[in-house]
Order: sequence, then C-alpha cells, then structure tokens
Amino acid sequence: MKPTFGEKLFYGMNYVLLSLIGLSCILPIVHILALSFSDAQAVMSGKVVFWPVNVTFKSYENLFIGTNIMNAFKNNVVITVVGTALSMACTIIAAYPLSRRDMYGRRFFTMAVVFTMLFSGGIIPNYLVIKSLGLLDSYGAIWLPGLVSVFNMLVLKTYFESMPLETEEAARIDGCNEWRLLIRVVLPLSMPVLAALTLFYAVGFWNQFMNVLLYLNDPMKYNLTVMVQQMIRSQSMLQELSNLQPEDVMNMTSETIKSAGVIVMILPMVIIYPFLQKYFVKGVMIGAIKG
Amino acid sequence: MDTAEETVPRRTDWQQERRVDRKRLKQNIPYFIMFVPVIVFFILFKYMPMGGLVIAFKDYNFADGVFGSPWHGIGQFKTLFSNPQTLQIIRNTFVLSVLSLLIGFPFPVMLAIMLNEARRAWFKRLVQTLVYLPHFLSWIIVSGMVVTIFSTQGVINDLFAGWLGEPFAFLYKDGSWLSIFIGSGIWKGMGWGAIIYLAALSSIDPSLYEAASMDGASKWRQIFHITLPGIAPTIVIVFILSVGNVMEVGFDQVYTLQNSAVFEISEVISTYAYKIGLQQLQFSLTAAMGLFESIIGLVLVVMTNTVARRFGQGLW
Repeated sequence: MKPTFGEKLFYGMNYVLLSLIGLSCILPIVHILALSFSDAQAVMSGKVVFWPVNVTFKSYENLFIGTNIMNAFKNNVVITVVGTALSMACTIIAAYPLSRRDMYGRRFFTMAVVFTMLFSGGIIPNYLVIKSLGLLDSYGAIWLPGLVSVFNMLVLKTYFESMPLETEEAARIDGCNEWRLLIRVVLPLSMPVLAALTLFYAVGFWNQFMNVLLYLNDPMKYNLTVMVQQMIRSQSMLQELSNLQPEDVMNMTSETIKSAGVIVMILPMVIIYPFLQKYFVKGVMIGAIKG
Repeated sequence: MDTAEETVPRRTDWQQERRVDRKRLKQNIPYFIMFVPVIVFFILFKYMPMGGLVIAFKDYNFADGVFGSPWHGIGQFKTLFSNPQTLQIIRNTFVLSVLSLLIGFPFPVMLAIMLNEARRAWFKRLVQTLVYLPHFLSWIIVSGMVVTIFSTQGVINDLFAGWLGEPFAFLYKDGSWLSIFIGSGIWKGMGWGAIIYLAALSSIDPSLYEAASMDGASKWRQIFHITLPGIAPTIVIVFILSVGNVMEVGFDQVYTLQNSAVFEISEVISTYAYKIGLQQLQFSLTAAMGLFESIIGLVLVVMTNTVARRFGQGLW
C-alpha cells in the first residue's frame, strides 16, 4: 500500500527526532573527549566543541603521573571482579532453592526476600551494622551489603522455573544429586540469563560510589568513581600538580584533567558495551515478563 | 508477585502421602544447605538494619550502642516535624522525586513508540545502541559532564554567548538547576526504560494496524487506539514500581549535582543523612528521617497497587 502524505510526514519527523535523541546521547561524551585532548588555553577561550584544538596528551600525562589513578583503576578491577563473582554465586544459591516447587517455606522465604525490596533500614542503620561487623575500611563493606540483588534473584528464579521439568526428572533418574543437577544441567541451560546478570552486577560494582564514600576512609582504597568525583569537586588538584611540575600549570586547566579522568573511567565501559548490549537487553526482557 | 505457586501432588491414600513427604523432606536437605548462607545474608544486611531503626526512638550515642542508648520516645520525630530545616529537606525529597517521576515517566514510553515506528532496522539498532549507553555511566560521570558543559565557562555558555549576553550560571540558579536535575535523569534513564515497553510493543498483533490502516485511521489514531491500549498493562506495572521508589531520589545523583548555592532545594534525606548523620554523628535524628522515608515508600506502593488492582492490573 502506498503511504499517504500524512504517513510520510510522520515517518520523516520520527527519523529526525530519533536522530536528535541518539545524537544527544553521544555528543556530550564526544565533547568531553575533545576537551581532554585539547590545549588548556583553547579550552579556556571556549574554542573546543566536538573536535580537539591544539591536540596534546598533557592532561593524560598529568593524570597518570600526578595522581594515583592507576591505583584507583586497579581497585576498581578488584572490587568488580571479586564482587561480581561473589554476587553471582549467592544469587544462584538463593534463586535455585526458591525456584524448586517442593521446597518447604518457599512462599514465606520469597515474601521475606521481596519485602526487603519494599522496605529498608536506610543509611544510618546500615552503617551501624557494617561498623559492628568490623567491615569499615575493608572491601567487605562494598561486596557484602549488595551481595544479592533481589531483582536479579527474581529474574533468575523465574528463568529456573520456566525450565522443562522433564530434563530434571531424567537427570534425577540417572542418579544425579542436587548439586550436580544444578551445576551440570540447570546452569549450562541458563547461560544467557547468567551472562546478563553477571553484566548487571559488574556494571554496578564498576560504578559503585555511595558505599565507597560511606564505608572507606583510606584514600588508597578508593575506586575510580570516588577519585574522579573528588577531582571534579576539588580545585586543590591543581595545586597538587603545581608542586610536581610548576612549569606545566600554565598550560593546564583542571577542566582538561577532569575530562581526562572522566574518559579513563568510561573507556572500558564504552569499549565493551556494544558487544554485550544484547545480553543486557535480554536480562531486562526476562525481568519484564515477570513484571 | 508469586503467582506460579504449585501444589504438591495429592494422593488420597495417607500412606502414600507420607512416603511422598519423606521423599520431599530428603529432597529439601540440599535446598536448605544452599539456602542457609542466603538466609544469613538477608538477616545480617537487610533485617538487622531494619531492627537498627529502633535508634529512631532513642538518643543514640556511641558509648552505649544501639541497645544501651536511652529511649527517647517520639522525640526525634517531634524535632523532625518542628524544625524548619528538616521540614525543608523532607519537602525537597518529595518535590525532587515526584517531579522526576511525573515529568520523566512519559519519555521512555514515547521513545519506545518512536523506535517501534522506525522501519529501517539498522537505524533502529543504531539509535537503540546510543540511547542505552547513558544507563551504564555512573552518576559521577554524568554529573561531571553536566557540570563541565553547563558551567559558566562551559560549552553551552560559549555557544549561546550571543543570545545570553553574559554567562548564565545554570547550576547556581534554583530553576535551571532543577531543570538540569530532572533533564539529566531523563537523559540517563530514558533509553533503558524504553526496553520494557519495546518488549510489550512487539507482542501487539500487526493485523490490528493493517485493519486500522484499511479503515483509513491516521498514524496518530493508530497510536492512540492500538499502540497505547496494547502496552497499558506494562505502563501500569512500571508506574507502580516507580511509585514504590519515589522516596528514593538517588543519593549519587543529588550528591554529585548539588552545590552550596542550591542547597535550599537540593538537600534531600539521603544526602542529609550522610552529611549530618554520619559526619556530624546525629544518628538518631537521621535514622528517624530514614524510617519516615521508608514508611512513606511502603505506603505509596501498597496504595498504588490497591488502585491498580481495582482496574485488574495489580502486582499482587
């Protein structure tokens, strides 16, 4: 059928609007990238928009030499890798029993878990618990409070429940015990959703901010998020640098270093994101079916 | 939430039933071995803090701890609702979260409908890739970019210098700060929020559109009479869930965007709890605020669900 004039107009407008929305999501990042590679003078005079002016790597040089960003980067990796592994393990052992129809108290435990989604103690009582457990200033305070995300757990539980019972029956008859059943049969069949949840946890830990701010005091334990945030907040950054290399400060604004910090932090994310996008989307879809 | 509750196979013969039960008991041992660490986690990190909320009714001090500190009745709540500063913070929490919800809520729906109408697959995929991206950036990054872009020396002021005359301090004026706050929330969450609606849209029967098109319905009419009713249940469910989180204006977002010039409208319960509670040790007062926040959240969720159930779309 031939599209009418009205329809053509509609589709045309739709493409224009969607292009604008898409551009609005990427252009700020391009701008920051341009700033981070630009000469400070050009930034100050407002010449830099989407293309670096007087390209220089000075801000990155200063960032890597003048600050302990490498250490923060390493901390980020440690927090993310260990945290994700712990969380995945615990989410699996939470979701699996709750997905078994013959578990005693299944309904009660599910309700008790979901309730924590609707009501929580809040910042202060959480802090007191972490403190009384002696977790302050250790990564335990980052990994443990968010060990099992109820939402992720429900997604996995739903997925387990949707598996055909025949497979399990067959494995049981073949003398498979519960652990083997979980590890050899159920988990391999759940790879797509496990991938999605792993990525959800990994992003959460990579971007972790509040818990680091609340529970860690030792600056050497800070992750990138808190470090970059402090860079953005404090102008003392510049003074610190001026002690290191006085002659360079003339060519620097903290603006360009801040931008470099932002770029260092989002780079890993932006690089891996397009490849993993479909897993993320799948995770949300599975969660959505349950509602 | 749990609708797929299964019944254990019923036997009329009691002996058989007992045998089934023994089998079920044996079956349950590995479940509980698995589940014990999970129970410990939920008690330690979820239910213990809830118990810790008793300090809202006490005068907490470090020496006596949670249990030893003297009772204070509802004294903290009296302070809370009589002190103009704390009242303002509670009001801010409401205003910021309700505005974010009401203004931000339609955007993912609109984006999903627009994406659904885009016919070229490559274009649709490209736009999707771009709009999902902000979701993965932490608030620290987003706020860092916002501050850089909107500062008086930022690119917005540079580009619009001709119109504005002199640099405009977007981040230091109440009105523009609020717009930036809500706008950045929409920017970050819009694409991700659209995914769930896209899933719902894909389940609408295409023959409905064909029929409507035959009958001469315009694109707009089709959207209002087929698309929107088709995804209405999803919209309601997402709305209930968002209302439940309404009191949780994200700490990260507020903390990283706020500055001293706009404290009057930007200080919320969570940032106050961090600054006054943890750094100035006003534990009981801020715990009382937190308790108030949680209870309002719970009440709102139950209320919305009751309303939604009346229309046959409740969550439970």
